[in-house]
Amino acid sequence: MVENTRKLHPADYFLYTDSIPSIWCPGCGIGTVVNTFIQAVEKSKIDFEKICVVSGIGCTGKVAEYLNFMSFMTINSNVFNFAANIKSENVDLKVVVFSNNADFLVSGAADFIEITEKGVDLIVIHTNNILYTITEHGVIPATPFVRISVDQNFQLPFNIPHLAESYGAKYIARWTPYRAGWLMYSMIDVFSKKGLSLIEVISPCLIYHASNDRMGDSVERMKFYDKYSVIRQGECTENLDIRAHNKIILGKFVNKK
Amino acid sequence: MKVKINIIEQRCKGCNICTEICQAGVLEVSQELNSNGYHPPRVKNLDDCIYCGMCEMFCPDFAIWVTAMKKEEIDI
Repeated sequence: MVENTRKLHPADYFLYTDSIPSIWCPGCGIGTVVNTFIQAVEKSKIDFEKICVVSGIGCTGKVAEYLNFMSFMTINSNVFNFAANIKSENVDLKVVVFSNNADFLVSGAADFIEITEKGVDLIVIHTNNILYTITEHGVIPATPFVRISVDQNFQLPFNIPHLAESYGAKYIARWTPYRAGWLMYSMIDVFSKKGLSLIEVISPCLIYHASNDRMGDSVERMKFYDKYSVIRQGECTENLDIRAHNKIILGKFVNKK
Repeated sequence: MKVKINIIEQRCKGCNICTEICQAGVLEVSQELNSNGYHPPRVKNLDDCIYCGMCEMFCPDFAIWVTAMKKEEIDI
């Protein structure tokens, strides 16, 4: 007999419970991000019918399928244009973009720069999993510095908070899923902001980084976050590169009016 | 405060974050399997629970949450 589990959890009101459990791997950080987002919506007491969720492709693109807001899942690397067009037609809506490395850094970066310069009122929650899932053996804009690809290439990782600040974003923060409480409170902050605000969540992919970088399973990865990250509020965004031998710097870096 | 820990075992994917994040040591991994073949958590000693809600905040699959007990459920 299948037990009826609908509408029991306090977050179930904001979810399509038919498609839960989700397709994400056990202990993936995206699930925690979605959970904290729902709690932030509950705590900030804004009208949840005024929230619109846009997501792109890949694992993070599935966020829009599970959330019971006005949610859209768009095509590859077109999330920022799509969200900006929604915002230009519906000024009352709070548009939240769940973006991905593939959405952001491939060809969406040009759209992001354009939108940030215009000052479109968007909330970008960027989940940085340090790879595109398909290109395991290539070098991508977010690969850490010491990692060398199969054909002996390497490059400096892309500094997303510095890009956003140099084009005039109003709020920039970076957390890991281990700091879920901090993440929730900066999501609450962001709901009252005007202008583009960016929250970067660093959650390395479980499948690839577990074997290659020896981060282990979900519990060991939580210990990795605790050990190799440090909170420095208001750090200059030039120093926020992710390198293998430095600690990952977390915090709230920019908070303008 | 009397507290109840609710677990939907069908949703659990066995990532063990809740058992690890609980500082009071209330939860443990059970030996039974759920319908998807994972080991869901089990309440070991409920009296130690301090109602911090960390298991609810961290769970990626919306499978566990903490509520205050109703008056009828408390047996003295």
